[in-house]
Amino acid sequence: MRLLQGPVAFLLCGLLMLPVPMLTAQSDSHLVVPSRAKHVREAYTSHEMQGDARILHALNRFTFGPRPGDLGAVRAMGLEKWFDQQLNPKSMNETELDAQLAKFPAMQWSTQELMYRLPSNGMIRRALAGRLDVPQSGIVQAVYRNQMDRLKAKLQAKQGKKDIAAPMTSVQSASMAVVGDSEAVNSADAGAMAQSATAQDESDKAMNAAATTPAIPDDEIRTVLALEPGARVNRLAAMPQPELDAFVKALRPIQKFVLMNGMTPEEREMVAALEGPERLVAAEVIAERLTRDIYSNAQLQEVMTDFWLNHFNIYLRKNQNMPYALAGYARDTIRPHALGRFEDLLEATAHSPAMLMYLDNVSSVGPDSIAVGRIKRIAARRPNLAKKLPEGLNENYARELMELHTVGVNGGYTQADVTQVARILTGWTVEKPEQGGGFTFNPNRHEPGAKTVMGVKYKENGEREGEELLHALASSPATAHFISRELAIRFVSDDPPPKLVDRMAKTYLASDGDIKAVLKTLFHSPEFWSPEMFRAKVKTPLEYVVSAVRTSDADIESLSPLANALHKMGMPLYGCVPPTGYKWDAATWVNSGALVDRMNFALALSANRLPGIRVDWSAEGATQAIQAAGETTPETEEARLESALIPGGVSETTRNAVLEQFRQQYTQSDVAQARQIAMTRRPRWRNVTMSQTERQDRLLAGLLLGSPEFQRR
Amino acid sequence: MQLTRRFFFRNGAMALAGTTAIPGFLVRSVLAQTAVQPNKRLVVIFQRGAADGLNIVVPYKEKNYYSMRPSIAIPQNQVLDLDGFFGLHPSLASFKPLYEQGHLAIVHAAGSPDMSRSHFDAQDYMESGTPGVKSTQDGWLNRALQVEDLRRHIDHSPFRAVALGPDVPRTLAGKVQAIALNNVNNFSVGGRGPAPSPAASAFQAMYGDSGDRIFHAAGEETFDAVKMLRAANPGQYTPRTGANYPRSEFGNSMRQIAQLLKANLGVEAAFTDVSGWDTHQNQGAVQGQLSNRLRDFSDSITAFWADMGDDAENITLVTMSEFGRTARENGTGGTDHGHANAMFVLGGTVKGGRVYGKWPGLENEQLNQNRDLALTTDFRTVLGEVVSRTIGAEKMDLVFPGAHIGQRNFLDLA
Repeated sequence: MRLLQGPVAFLLCGLLMLPVPMLTAQSDSHLVVPSRAKHVREAYTSHEMQGDARILHALNRFTFGPRPGDLGAVRAMGLEKWFDQQLNPKSMNETELDAQLAKFPAMQWSTQELMYRLPSNGMIRRALAGRLDVPQSGIVQAVYRNQMDRLKAKLQAKQGKKDIAAPMTSVQSASMAVVGDSEAVNSADAGAMAQSATAQDESDKAMNAAATTPAIPDDEIRTVLALEPGARVNRLAAMPQPELDAFVKALRPIQKFVLMNGMTPEEREMVAALEGPERLVAAEVIAERLTRDIYSNAQLQEVMTDFWLNHFNIYLRKNQNMPYALAGYARDTIRPHALGRFEDLLEATAHSPAMLMYLDNVSSVGPDSIAVGRIKRIAARRPNLAKKLPEGLNENYARELMELHTVGVNGGYTQADVTQVARILTGWTVEKPEQGGGFTFNPNRHEPGAKTVMGVKYKENGEREGEELLHALASSPATAHFISRELAIRFVSDDPPPKLVDRMAKTYLASDGDIKAVLKTLFHSPEFWSPEMFRAKVKTPLEYVVSAVRTSDADIESLSPLANALHKMGMPLYGCVPPTGYKWDAATWVNSGALVDRMNFALALSANRLPGIRVDWSAEGATQAIQAAGETTPETEEARLESALIPGGVSETTRNAVLEQFRQQYTQSDVAQARQIAMTRRPRWRNVTMSQTERQDRLLAGLLLGSPEFQRR
Repeated sequence: MQLTRRFFFRNGAMALAGTTAIPGFLVRSVLAQTAVQPNKRLVVIFQRGAADGLNIVVPYKEKNYYSMRPSIAIPQNQVLDLDGFFGLHPSLASFKPLYEQGHLAIVHAAGSPDMSRSHFDAQDYMESGTPGVKSTQDGWLNRALQVEDLRRHIDHSPFRAVALGPDVPRTLAGKVQAIALNNVNNFSVGGRGPAPSPAASAFQAMYGDSGDRIFHAAGEETFDAVKMLRAANPGQYTPRTGANYPRSEFGNSMRQIAQLLKANLGVEAAFTDVSGWDTHQNQGAVQGQLSNRLRDFSDSITAFWADMGDDAENITLVTMSEFGRTARENGTGGTDHGHANAMFVLGGTVKGGRVYGKWPGLENEQLNQNRDLALTTDFRTVLGEVVSRTIGAEKMDLVFPGAHIGQRNFLDLA
């Protein structure tokens, strides 16, 4: 018993006070934690964070950073109750989030519907080859027509080369006949074509550039912009290629804004789809995720969703089906299990088209399977064709499933185990991924015979073999430890106390991998509340950017400046190429380049220089009177903004640096700035009259958001 | 006159003495570099994802190569012959002249002796330079710079060790400060004017006086670097004619490394990486996925070489990847995680035009674990030779602890 290790007095006291049933229970089980924690707390009281520090610590760690009012709300509710609510977020009021999510209607569609209504380039190629029923009415017809025309123009531009649609068709139909699921094979071609973001962009550019651009008269732009929103959409839908692309290209930034103005979310999506349906899907997948991170009240659920999306990393540009699969991956695979059982989550990812495509399991085929037998017979007759057909194992998913998803690299497996796992998982594939299909088990591709993984034998049993394997992996002590440590790194510190990790792993095993229970153990651990843990974690770029807009209560019309900022800072969402995902430690994210980007982001956000994002630093209520009376000073404004933006406060050093530099620089540059403002022609829709207080607030807020204190959580 | 704070404190009056016409750091970096190894600079490139060495430097005389890779092998008549046994992938055409001029050397069957097939672990081991040892805190290149400091203690530019990208890679992690930057032309706070913005000054004071150890250090480095870069003004940069960088992420990184090197910022070691090598599926042969990667790879490096002009003489560039790929193609037109690989070493003083290393053969019984190219050259002997001949880091037991390498193991290529 662990209690025996403690001092005698403590032991006696503990034994006397433990209720009888507890004494018989395993003392390490999480069931006794409350009672143990009581004593532990007595022993640790003087060493634990207290009061508001405790609340802020919890908000820093279990949310994407506090929003204005959060501290008070948790104070009123009680921290324990708040945490309990975060663990069970079903009943939470999400009015604001729902209103924001309504901007992305397509994100509610099934993958198939997304693929059909916002067609990928693969769908367009099928349409051109006559292998797809092209919609015959509505805006969606115009979307297809535009994309088909763009592709045709691109193909024509590639003169001298064969029409690429033709050979692909023959391979596809051949493989359809042989393997019975053509698209699983063909995704390989798509993968090769869109291997990197750069390649994708290049091909987009080529597609647009291929069309010769006709000149668009200003009159026409004005006429279209003057139309009612609905009529504007119809007018654009009626435009042929290349006129539409030329029209969009001719718009100035402000005109682009006017073009979308007054439209419903559905209409905006239609216009964006006319410009490029694939780009729209990729942009919305990212925007939807950011929206939830920023606005959801179920913050812990979103933090955990982000955690698992990183643990089960997927790269957006793996192939052109991926953006489509990712909408459902976050929504149906990860989020529903983010606070559930790990095994359910693992099962869900193993059945997700996104994971099966990303780690190539879609094309792994048992070397002795029925499918390979057929391919070999075909190959004997038509060798050229057979080259394109899969005929063996791909061990990519098998390896990462063990190394990164479950037992970890020291989990006790060998190369032979990896191969055996790959055999077990043969046949786990995706039905028609090019059309947004879902998981399917294809028995023809499954490797026959028994397999042995880490000493455990799996009898030949088709799909069940994989289910048993996933169960074994999810319930392994190595997995319990690996997941617990990763959680502790995310929530506690870069180098978490091993004893804490051990306790979490015990809870994991005792609770059948219940993620909530593991988080409760973490929450009730003295290590977590130890004062040196306050702001001990450095924010990742995502945590930094989201916490900045949350604390600023920014009004967000467009999320793309945030997505761009993440790209610059080295953490684009769904942009991590290797399956390892991003790291959570300070060493990765603190360096000179990163600091420059963070400071510039803080300054741009605070000065309303991020297009489509507005912050308002003016005071409300009582302080407004002071402001009106002109009694604000840098000191009063700094104090007000500091308590609003960084409720935990900044150091005296930071405050002094802000104020001193601020005073100096302000008086020096005042004249110069006034002159600059007079000289710069400001766009009319911007407020020209900016008070001195306002300018001062922008700089103050920018400096505070860029301070060392705000880099931590 | 731009003078960084830390230089001022370190060098005191010495630094002020140099303030008449040219910035002090230029004086110092020149002095520093003339001390032992005049102007030697090292460029390190990591191919992340495990590049397929057997299709990059093709052993086209190996029969088994063709039987193991029925759909992805490079046909004999398509390889760019190097020595009658090895040939370059045709997409590496721009490397061929460099090889013929004797600037480009190849080491085949090289890599990390550790058997891990995990990208993560293998990259970590290769970057730490201590295969099999996880507890190593710093990277091999950082240690090489530390070793250089043991021999001659001088002040260095904040740009002494620079990485193109959003973060400092493991290779450069450690005691010697390294800087990471995404974009050379955009490296300033609160605007790009000739003088620091009010915001930049405030941040500088804030971080400079901060009690937060980590951010204090990073802040100091940042503002030193920003000032130097502003003074050097690399934004006014056009590559030399004939240096045609591909418009790719890697091409852009190589271009910026050239920019930094030519701006005389005191760069000793530059690092960048290039991903997209994990070709499990449909990797292609003469054309295709790997072919596209290789064209970008070689054209970017060749453009960099051309861009450096006469300065190329002082450059040594070395490439590596965490492991090779399986000798046999897999069931999906790709290759899985393997073992040994090919490394490129390019430089003015490199004894190029040769493929170095003992060739282990590709017959089934010659393969590592019956699946991969066996390893005959520890990557650390290549890197060790390179750092001792460039930045003068000769204490191999400190650069690569536990590796037991030294002069006697060197291939004598640098």
